[in-house]
Amino acid sequence: MSRQDGCRFKVNDCVEILDLGKAGHVRIPFYVRGKIGLIIQYCGRYLNPEDLAVGKTSGPTIDLYRVQFNHSELWGVSENLSQDRLVIEIYDHWLKPIEKIVEES
Amino acid sequence: MRGYHDIGGDTAGEIPQQELPWLHWEKQTEAIRNLLGDGTRRIISLDEMRRGFESFGAEKYGKHSFYRRRLESMIDILIEKGVISSRELEHAVKEKKRVWDENSKAGIE
Amino acid sequence: MTKGNDHDHDHHDHDHSEVEHEALVIEDDVGNIEGQIMIDALQSVLISRGLLTAPEVTKEIQQLESPGIHLGAKVVVKAWTDPGYKARLLSNGKSAIQEIGISVGEAQIVVVENTPTVHNLITCTLCSCYPRSILGQPPSWYISKAYRARTVREPRKVLEEFGVTLSKEIQLIVHDSNADMRYLVLPEPPANLSAMDATKLEATIGRDDLIGVSR
Repeated sequence: MSRQDGCRFKVNDCVEILDLGKAGHVRIPFYVRGKIGLIIQYCGRYLNPEDLAVGKTSGPTIDLYRVQFNHSELWGVSENLSQDRLVIEIYDHWLKPIEKIVEES
Repeated sequence: MRGYHDIGGDTAGEIPQQELPWLHWEKQTEAIRNLLGDGTRRIISLDEMRRGFESFGAEKYGKHSFYRRRLESMIDILIEKGVISSRELEHAVKEKKRVWDENSKAGIE
Repeated sequence: MTKGNDHDHDHHDHDHSEVEHEALVIEDDVGNIEGQIMIDALQSVLISRGLLTAPEVTKEIQQLESPGIHLGAKVVVKAWTDPGYKARLLSNGKSAIQEIGISVGEAQIVVVENTPTVHNLITCTLCSCYPRSILGQPPSWYISKAYRARTVREPRKVLEEFGVTLSKEIQLIVHDSNADMRYLVLPEPPANLSAMDATKLEATIGRDDLIGVSR
């Protein structure tokens, strides 16, 4: 899907996943919190599951992105190969922009 | 804050690969959840149901099968929202059980 | 794998490193009878409250039973044999799937393509998200705690358990289906693609190919 007006991120942006410390229903798993990844796709705008879980259906909608991680970033030393990747969907309010240091090859 | 359902990356044993049938009560559970969440009703959304089983407590989450968790969650949310009362449900369960037991006895005789 | 394995930690701060999840909880006969009684009871209460009717439930069950792997296979074969369709499928999975008359209930379907150097594997660590409106219900192992926990951390080991050894030259991409997207793997076509008609090709595609635990 194409990026819309107001999207904070674009493909190839580096991001860090925040840990918002929220109680209740969230769809951002523990294993990616505090980790740095790369935006690979914009998915569109969706109602926030954190709101839907408590019956709040009136919005606002939130930008959703697919973010790609290296296994070494997630697990430290691991048996996964250096080229292997993990991709997951992250809502905008869980993302922080990061200055890219190394070009993703 | 990490929920007990948030298990990505945890240690676990071998993946059980046997094929299991999808039973009638399980289909019925899914069907009812879908209907309650549809555009004409909007009584329980998928996220509300997920919140339900994420709020059970680890023990209940750990001991129930997948569809039983969904059923229990639906019941919790419906009672929480006042759509049904626990009393009327208990009464209905008792009645269904009575009929089941009668039918089972009749079957044996 | 029987019911009722109580984890022996009862502190609130779930120390995940010490918990070995029971792979899959399966109801025994008592549990299944209980499940049937409970759902029948719930249904009768909801009917008495005017929120549902029994024919609606029956019809919805039929709708749930009708999708299946045959629909995923149709999509795959069309992509294999029609490059324009494949491009549309990879760009917007939901609209391309609907284009061939398959209805899609999910918000969006992301189709991920296997190539000689890339293999894709789908999981949902938080629950069991799966493209149900196309493929039907996920297999039990997909919803097992063992699969959910391990696929994101040691996917190559998981694939070994399914009999797949990926060479070092292949990039393995795991997709955790945690939000609004649902995923379908587009497997590589067979070498003798042109020798088979669509029906024969569809018969070669299995559920495991579409999830990524076979190659």
